[in-house]
Amino acid sequence: MAEIESDQLQRASLDETKVKNEDEEEEECILQFLDSLDAYLTLVDSLSSSLRQGWFDLASARQSMGHTCISSKLFDHKVHSASTTINIMELDADNPSDPKPQFSLSKWATTKENPSSEVPNNSNLRHRAPTGVLEDGEKSNGTQVSSVVSNDVSLQLDIQKERSKSLTIFGGLVSPKLRTAQVSFETALDKIVEIANARSSMLSSFSQLQLNKKSSS
Amino acid sequence: MAGRAQIPTSNSALIAMIADEDTITGFLLAGVGNVDIRRKTNYLIVDNKTTVKQIEDTFKEFTNRDDIAIVLISQYVANMIRFLVDSYNKPVPAILEIPSKDHPYDPAHDSVLSRVKYLFSTESVASDRR
Repeated sequence: MAEIESDQLQRASLDETKVKNEDEEEEECILQFLDSLDAYLTLVDSLSSSLRQGWFDLASARQSMGHTCISSKLFDHKVHSASTTINIMELDADNPSDPKPQFSLSKWATTKENPSSEVPNNSNLRHRAPTGVLEDGEKSNGTQVSSVVSNDVSLQLDIQKERSKSLTIFGGLVSPKLRTAQVSFETALDKIVEIANARSSMLSSFSQLQLNKKSSS
Repeated sequence: MAGRAQIPTSNSALIAMIADEDTITGFLLAGVGNVDIRRKTNYLIVDNKTTVKQIEDTFKEFTNRDDIAIVLISQYVANMIRFLVDSYNKPVPAILEIPSKDHPYDPAHDSVLSRVKYLFSTESVASDRR
């Protein structure tokens, strides 16, 4: 009799723990949903500011260069690939019922070929050595660091080249306002990718909430 | 949720745009313009001569392409094809409604927010009835 009672008590406490865990999971899901909703609205507001700045700069550039110099008639219709693209990854690939894509921006075709992001592990503090005398390790360390620096410089040059290519469709000499408009729209692109990720997170946590509601009712 | 398609992962997917001339110009300056071998672009400039049918066809084309990750659409253009935008529910490409120069962003019309708001409203009504 005592055994039966203790079994019943154990089962009751297990059930209570299970319900508590489910409640905690649901609360976490609700928080995640509300966080991503807040992020989405904040980012959209921020995007509006970047776009407004971009339109304003574009209007200023049009005024200084002339309306016919910045027009859709000048767009490049020759075959060419986009320099700025999106990488898509799937978070939580083990859960196909709740797809959650993650977007990241690859600006000016740089993310794919970015050797400067790989900093060698042994590039610690540089040691001052007596003039003309360097250990072999320090020589190779110096060579690695200088190759990283030169890769960085060449990457920056490539980015500038791509930026200039986009500007040259409107002529060889463009207004500085057109360059600032380009920067504003690049900033807007960063925000757009963040918005896409916030949207993905919001829809994912919302569908999870719906599932929880259906299973509990 | 049974029947959901897998997300096509990609390393160089495009951003498509259905918007006014200035918005498209700005994003082309940022390097998102693409013209493929068939001379098809990843953008549609909407002006007063663009018909609703053209916008609908372009929206359907962009949302069915495998190489597009995000479709940017000005909210005032999305309002012209609201039924189509609201009935879209795939994770990729993501449809983002953006403001335009003459039409500021209105969260009440955003398809993602209205989907969430509608379902929450249904929930609160159902719980009141219990």
